Amino acid sequence: MLPRCLRAFSKPLCISFQESGILGKNLNRHLQFVGVNSFSSTRMSCMPQDVSLEKCSGKKDTLYKSVEIEIRSGEPAVLLSYEWFTSYAAKQLGITIGKCWAPPKAHHNRLTLLKSIHIYKKHRVQYEIRTYFRHMTYERLTESTLKTFLEYIQRNVPEGVAVKVTKKSVLNLPSSLSDSVRRLSIQ
Amino acid sequence: MSAIVNLRVFRNFQQFVSFRPISNYPTSLNKNAEVQNVEDDDFRALELRPNKSNNMRGNRRKTAYKKTPVHPPRSNKMPVDQDWPSVWPVARVFHPASVPLPLHQGWVEPGITPPGKFANAELMKIPNFLHLTPPAIERQCAALKKFCTEWPKELDTDEKIDHHFPIQITTSDYLHSSPTIRDARARIVTLQVKLSTLHLNSHAKDKLLRLVKERYDPITDILTIVSERCPLRKQNLDYAMYLLNVLVSESWKTEPWENEKSEADMEKYVWEGSQSQRTLQQLLERMPDKAPVLPEDIEQYSTNVTRFHNEGETTENVNTYKESVKKLLGLNA
Repeated sequence: MLPRCLRAFSKPLCISFQESGILGKNLNRHLQFVGVNSFSSTRMSCMPQDVSLEKCSGKKDTLYKSVEIEIRSGEPAVLLSYEWFTSYAAKQLGITIGKCWAPPKAHHNRLTLLKSIHIYKKHRVQYEIRTYFRHMTYERLTESTLKTFLEYIQRNVPEGVAVKVTKKSVLNLPSSLSDSVRRLSIQ
Repeated sequence: MSAIVNLRVFRNFQQFVSFRPISNYPTSLNKNAEVQNVEDDDFRALELRPNKSNNMRGNRRKTAYKKTPVHPPRSNKMPVDQDWPSVWPVARVFHPASVPLPLHQGWVEPGITPPGKFANAELMKIPNFLHLTPPAIERQCAALKKFCTEWPKELDTDEKIDHHFPIQITTSDYLHSSPTIRDARARIVTLQVKLSTLHLNSHAKDKLLRLVKERYDPITDILTIVSERCPLRKQNLDYAMYLLNVLVSESWKTEPWENEKSEADMEKYVWEGSQSQRTLQQLLERMPDKAPVLPEDIEQYSTNVTRFHNEGETTENVNTYKESVKKLLGLNA
């Protein structure tokens, strides 16, 4: 999950992200130096910025228009608390919070079984399993933000909760297509 | 029944605990006095060699219920401004002595206080979020902030995003407790494009729509390609992009057999060369020349007929058709 260039102790941790699209390649966009934490006492001398940029990953961040997280559990109160936690974390990380909603009714899975092991067909017993749902939507994330956020969220999923994450990413037209479109529309 | 008895007895311990520490071994009264002088913070005295005299009939106590000496709960000594994330750093089962809150949980008859937090199975069963209090979340997010990047400020509206990035890809991830972490549904990839961004001419668009059939939604002008035939998500993604490329390149090509397109194959009504035009011409030839028919009337008639066929029957369409027919035939009724 963490950027490939993250290595502890050996050199100052530098992460640079490039964003694709209209702004072209902005290499310097987010370069942050992370000091070595509490582990080693010696700090390597800072390398010049150009050199460190090239050594870090040159992959561009894809952009995600929205992420929808659907959670389901047998306990609605747990889902509510988890939604509160994810929204709070999103706010701390600067992510726009979209629509968070829950269907008004749970899904009931009912079974009607025979009460007795032999005969007595008229006497049954009914069981049901209730599954409550909740949806949270977060909008306008970059790939690194998304991966960080999702990993943090998923590590703190409580017991008995299932998560489905639907990600909508946006891409440019593939180069072959855009070239042909341009060529033929000029014709 | 026995559970309730134990609970009551255990509750009594809460009161007994802070007083005289009761030891397992029968000791003389002198020894008890010795233990009392010790403060609560120090350890209990361990007697390695209990005196024999204690086991004589006079000194021996009936072995009462073995009361395990318990320290008072830690929550009594917790300062109000303590660092809670250090007390509860990770998710754990609810531990009543570590939580300085008067919690009650459980259904009881109305009017009765619900059971307290000690030995409360309901509180222990439910997952708690005590490890995710606001200070803890803020601390963790501050540490994670350096791995996040900002969304480009220029892309603030959906239209701008769609204009610069026309293709939208939807994938799903699944997380649930089960013997395996894999879920087969995670391989499904959905690709959506607006056809207006592809800049196709009418022939190319018609051919593409015929190739694509029900994957195109005319209301939103979105072409949806769902790819799930490959086992891996990356393969499905590549296949979807390949399909898009192939569709567009094929739709721009004109095959020789496309010239055999007949009237039955037409996707929409075209007036030139239609039966209606031929009929009208025959009619005009046969009609006695009262007044020469203006070409504008014919044009208007043709557009109305086209609209009638393409858009369907609405009162508006029918009325305009009626007017154009009247003008054409010179009827003023």
